[in-house]
Amino acid sequence: MARFLGYLAKRIVNYIVMIFVATSLTYFLACAFMSPRSNYESRTPRPSQESIEASLDKANLNDKTPVTERYQRWLTNIVTEWNWGLSPAGDSVNNEISSRIGASVKLMLLSTILSIVIGVSLGVYTAQRQYQWQDRFWSGLASVFLVIPTVVLAILIVFFAIEINQQTGQRIFYVTGLSSYDGPNFFIGLIDFLQHILLPTIVLTIISSVGYHLNQRTYLLDEMHADYVRTARAKGLTKKQAIRKHALRASLIPTSVNVAFSIASIFTGAVMTEKIFAIHGMGEYFINCINNNNINGAVAVAAFSGACTLLGALLADLFAAALDPRIKMS
Amino acid sequence: MSDTTSTTTMDDTLRYELLEGNGPKGAPTGDPVMSVRNLRVSFNTEAGVVHAVRDVNFDLWGGRTLGIVGESGSGKSVTALSLIGLLDDNAHVSGSVKLNGEELIGKSDEEMSKIRGARISMIFQDPLSALTPMFSIGDQLAEALLIHNPDMTKDEVRKRCIELLTLVGITDPENRLDAYPHEFSGGMRQRVVIAIAIANNPDIIIADEPTTALDVTIQAQILDILKVAQKETGAAVVLITHDLGVVAGTADDVMVMYAGRAVERASIDTLFERPSQPYTMGLLGAVPKPHMPAEHRLVPIKGNPPSLAAIPAGCPFSPRCPMATDECRVTEPELLPLEEGEGHLVSCHHMDEIRDKHLTYADVYPALEPLLPKWADVPRDQRPVVLEVKDLVKTFPIQGKGLIRRNKGTMTAVDHASFTIHEGETLALVGESGSGKSTTLMQIMDLVVPEEGTITVLGKKTSELKNARDRRELRRNLQIIFQDPMSSLDPRMPIYDVLAEPLEAQGWDKTKINKRIGELMYLVGINPDYVDRFPSQFSGGQRQRIAIARALATSPKLLLLDEPIASLDVSIQAGIINLLEDLQVQLKISYLFVAHDLAVIRHISDTVAVMHLGKIVEYGDTEEVFTNPQDPYTKALLSAIPIPDPKVERTRERLVYRDGKLIPASSLLPKSLK
Amino acid sequence: MEEQNNKDEQLTNAQLELQADAAGPGEVKRISYAGLIARRFFRQKSAVVGLTILAILVLLAIFGPFICKYDYTDPDFTAINVAPNARHWFGTDGGGFDLFACVVHGLGRSLVIGLTYAILTTAISAIVGTAIAYARGWGEKIGMWLLDMLLVIPSFLLVAMIVRAASGTQGWIMLILGLTAFGWIGYARTLRTMALSLRERDYVRAAKYMGVPSIKIILRHLIPNLGSILVIDTVLCVISGINSETAYSFLGLGIKAPDTSLGYILSQGSSAMLSAPWIVLIPSVVLIILCVSMQLIGDGLRDAFDPYSRAAGEVADEESKKDEAKKAAAAAAGNAAGSHHE
Repeated sequence: MARFLGYLAKRIVNYIVMIFVATSLTYFLACAFMSPRSNYESRTPRPSQESIEASLDKANLNDKTPVTERYQRWLTNIVTEWNWGLSPAGDSVNNEISSRIGASVKLMLLSTILSIVIGVSLGVYTAQRQYQWQDRFWSGLASVFLVIPTVVLAILIVFFAIEINQQTGQRIFYVTGLSSYDGPNFFIGLIDFLQHILLPTIVLTIISSVGYHLNQRTYLLDEMHADYVRTARAKGLTKKQAIRKHALRASLIPTSVNVAFSIASIFTGAVMTEKIFAIHGMGEYFINCINNNNINGAVAVAAFSGACTLLGALLADLFAAALDPRIKMS
Repeated sequence: MSDTTSTTTMDDTLRYELLEGNGPKGAPTGDPVMSVRNLRVSFNTEAGVVHAVRDVNFDLWGGRTLGIVGESGSGKSVTALSLIGLLDDNAHVSGSVKLNGEELIGKSDEEMSKIRGARISMIFQDPLSALTPMFSIGDQLAEALLIHNPDMTKDEVRKRCIELLTLVGITDPENRLDAYPHEFSGGMRQRVVIAIAIANNPDIIIADEPTTALDVTIQAQILDILKVAQKETGAAVVLITHDLGVVAGTADDVMVMYAGRAVERASIDTLFERPSQPYTMGLLGAVPKPHMPAEHRLVPIKGNPPSLAAIPAGCPFSPRCPMATDECRVTEPELLPLEEGEGHLVSCHHMDEIRDKHLTYADVYPALEPLLPKWADVPRDQRPVVLEVKDLVKTFPIQGKGLIRRNKGTMTAVDHASFTIHEGETLALVGESGSGKSTTLMQIMDLVVPEEGTITVLGKKTSELKNARDRRELRRNLQIIFQDPMSSLDPRMPIYDVLAEPLEAQGWDKTKINKRIGELMYLVGINPDYVDRFPSQFSGGQRQRIAIARALATSPKLLLLDEPIASLDVSIQAGIINLLEDLQVQLKISYLFVAHDLAVIRHISDTVAVMHLGKIVEYGDTEEVFTNPQDPYTKALLSAIPIPDPKVERTRERLVYRDGKLIPASSLLPKSLK
Repeated sequence: MEEQNNKDEQLTNAQLELQADAAGPGEVKRISYAGLIARRFFRQKSAVVGLTILAILVLLAIFGPFICKYDYTDPDFTAINVAPNARHWFGTDGGGFDLFACVVHGLGRSLVIGLTYAILTTAISAIVGTAIAYARGWGEKIGMWLLDMLLVIPSFLLVAMIVRAASGTQGWIMLILGLTAFGWIGYARTLRTMALSLRERDYVRAAKYMGVPSIKIILRHLIPNLGSILVIDTVLCVISGINSETAYSFLGLGIKAPDTSLGYILSQGSSAMLSAPWIVLIPSVVLIILCVSMQLIGDGLRDAFDPYSRAAGEVADEESKKDEAKKAAAAAAGNAAGSHHE
């Protein structure tokens, strides 16, 4: 156990170094490509030069200060006060992010669970019927969804939802935001929430379940032809039993690693979906940051995503170790 | 399918089989447990319809072993899989397979699953992949029991599992039940697979190359266990192998397959005493004999086994057969008795001639030009030393497997190994997997400065090589040939580029390269017109020739050979061995020959170094080591080689090396549990 | 041939083999590797359909501007927001721009961006990936650490930072550069995994022992032997390039007016979905057809390169091959997970 903790600690230290280097690089990249000064210069009436400089200095965004100096100050604030800086408009990045994580989690949690369940089941189902019509149909459908741009998919779903709304004359689906009911009744609130979350959930579920489906199918097909499945059949298991008892178990290991990775993405959200459905989550925040030259905000989102990615990687390692006896913890 | 003709052949098949008495167990008696008639298997593939098995007939009796011998693509494994109904879905099977009178062909997977594991069971070639890595040994054994006996209680299952593991010679079975396959060595895993196969006392055990993937000493143990398992269950065993030595020690009856058909069938002793089909003769003649000194050249069978997708017209062996006449190239001969009243069936148009003239392989196959005496001009000890390895040490850090790769200390892969090779001499480095022989080879090839000791190539110590140019200079005289010709030639390069590569690396110009490539192709016996072809258009043997040509391109003084014939078919091996011998005499090259096949080593090498756990335990002249071994490990190794002579094989006692001592193998066999 | 064989009794071994060659059972079918792949490719209906559609789209992108009376830059103020009709085949948008002209131009943009991105990405990732694999030891460790580090932050975010600066008619070049700058990393990692087993092949070791320089080994042996994977990757990369263009332009980060692209048209049309649905529907359909046709070609190529992928129940493959496939699939899944943000 002590050895395991030691291993874990070593891994985490490595990840922290990685995040540090990657985030620093992102900071320099953002400073090179974004110009908060233009936010002020394009304002009408144009503020005085002094006030522009003052505002930029206050947010530590002045491009006249050497970038290394800005970087030092930025880093010091994070390390000493966990303060990720200010937007060009002077708002705290910390506050903005914490107010948006909730929306992302609400959006992503349901679709992540659904896409894992649906994707993996379809993968198993189609692999067992390789080259039969069920496999051709579902896998063909999946590969079409795999390549359709998210924007197109989302727009088409919105389009049809609006059509349905118009045909029925009722607002069954809401296509923007996460809620519009503000009253005290819990059930009306819940239904209202579901009406809002349904379409983005469908979009996200389709996008990520096709990945699980096609991967799970490949993994299971690989394992189905393994020698040990033949041994199991030679013992007296039917082909179906041998696949279910032996091949399936092995094929779930790489899938569970993928699942671990996706858990982290719950917090970072989905950029395109949030933008299209006007959900104020992390993804939308990032796009706003980019469009508003909010260097500190963009770097903070990037760092947060990076941390989530590495958390996913760590989880993936642990999942694999727990499931595969060949990988021993100690 | 079962019209009148097949009933008559059925009678014939059985009638002749009942006459097969020239073996340790005499002729079979009673009713066969399994009867196979007119078995045909074909597959639809991209290359066309592959007729993998064509009209195979045989019967199996409890307690007897049928050896099915053949090279790759002979249809032997497909035959085995069709008996137990484990062929792929795209296989088309016809004919009849009857188990105690019950027809198996046409049964559904569900119906067959009741028979598999209970009445017919199977042992596969590769024990490393045959067990499910996710489940413990105990679970996998228990599954085999419970699937056919769902009423067994937990305690009964456990007791039976322990009993089975004891039977197959796994020590401490109680604790081993909870172990996972990856904690077991290959030999141990094969024991577990055998335990699973005999769990339900089957009537028939099919063993498909059960020892091919194993070291020779482990192979001997597994074959012994297989005999115990057969004794215990009274089952009929079908042993499928390409190794004539394995058959000699194990089988009662032998069927030789070629291009999907049986070409000869006889009792074990008859087949080895009087092989009467030219292919069988060639096969037996082409194999080096581990128990006899190498006095003659091996007689190779020219050409390659046919692809099952393009079986030649007439007798499939005719393109390779020295006796072939026009008739052979038109009609395929039937499997007929050589002599009335004897169970010896042969498929050959020239059967009568062979029988009447008592032809043997020496008569049938053209003799090769005798090898010039090797040491004619300069005696061996007056020749310069080309390679000297002195006290070579190589260690590896041992890393724990899995998530946490911590160092567990060091493993000494090579432990103070020393040997020398003179010009034109062959030194064989023998050992089992993990003995350090390959590591030694790589240390020399890498031209590294060893951890300890010295490596001196052509008088230059590797520690004195200063730069890349020195190394490249030395590499011209030092080349290597790998085991697998599939992997040693770049599939994307035509042969011309393959052969030009070493010459370009040494900075040769175009015209010289062109000329040299022509020479090389001729030297190794590949038509020089084929330079534009890709490796995939050549057979395994031809590819190995091309690899040899590449190694010879820069006229090296020293050639390192890493198991150069181990992955080739038996009938092709002889050709490569002969080529290497010819080249050595012609070009005065020295060979460092790494191999595990002792028969080949006895044939080709002048001196032998036996490696065990990184140490050279015995080092001396080949004949001396083979006839009068000193080290106990060498003795055990020599006694484990299967000998392609059933009478020798039956009478000798195997020795097993345990903790520095030698003990008879029979003392290790588990006592029968009765 | 055989009689001769018996007559001159004493043969050398090589002579015997040469004779066997001459009298060998079959003429070796001489078909080049490329020819074989092409034959297997064209045997598949779906792949031929994909290729045909793609060809039509490419022709449309090249010759479309010549058959259309309007240019994507000059609006027709007499027809604003009109549905598809005889004059404006795909209708017009709110600014009076002819949608057919815009879509054809956008299709060309998508194809150019997709192809350039795919080729650049594949080339960079092939060289870096194989070089890291071949380096071994410390070189490999450092290389892998750097790749992992660059993958820590989802590339979508990093690319967005760069391409936001793209503007004007040259914006698409910036978009390609931005996409390529971070697009190759994931592929390099996958290709390195593939190259791991290649570097252990005996022909690579043999070349090393012949004294062939490392660069030459990488270019002559490693990269050509990843060829099939690289070709398939390139095709799939085209799809992801097109997808990315659509995404960034839709977000207002990629291609902007006065230039136009399919993603840009979508973003313009999404606000007028109720009044002028054709503005979003037509580019959507074009994108779907384009991506699906590429996917069909990619699938066709995969099956052409690996005949076993179709052969039902192939006899046990080489273990290493399976591992490779598994690793590749896992790596691809990793990539896919990374791009879910899109």
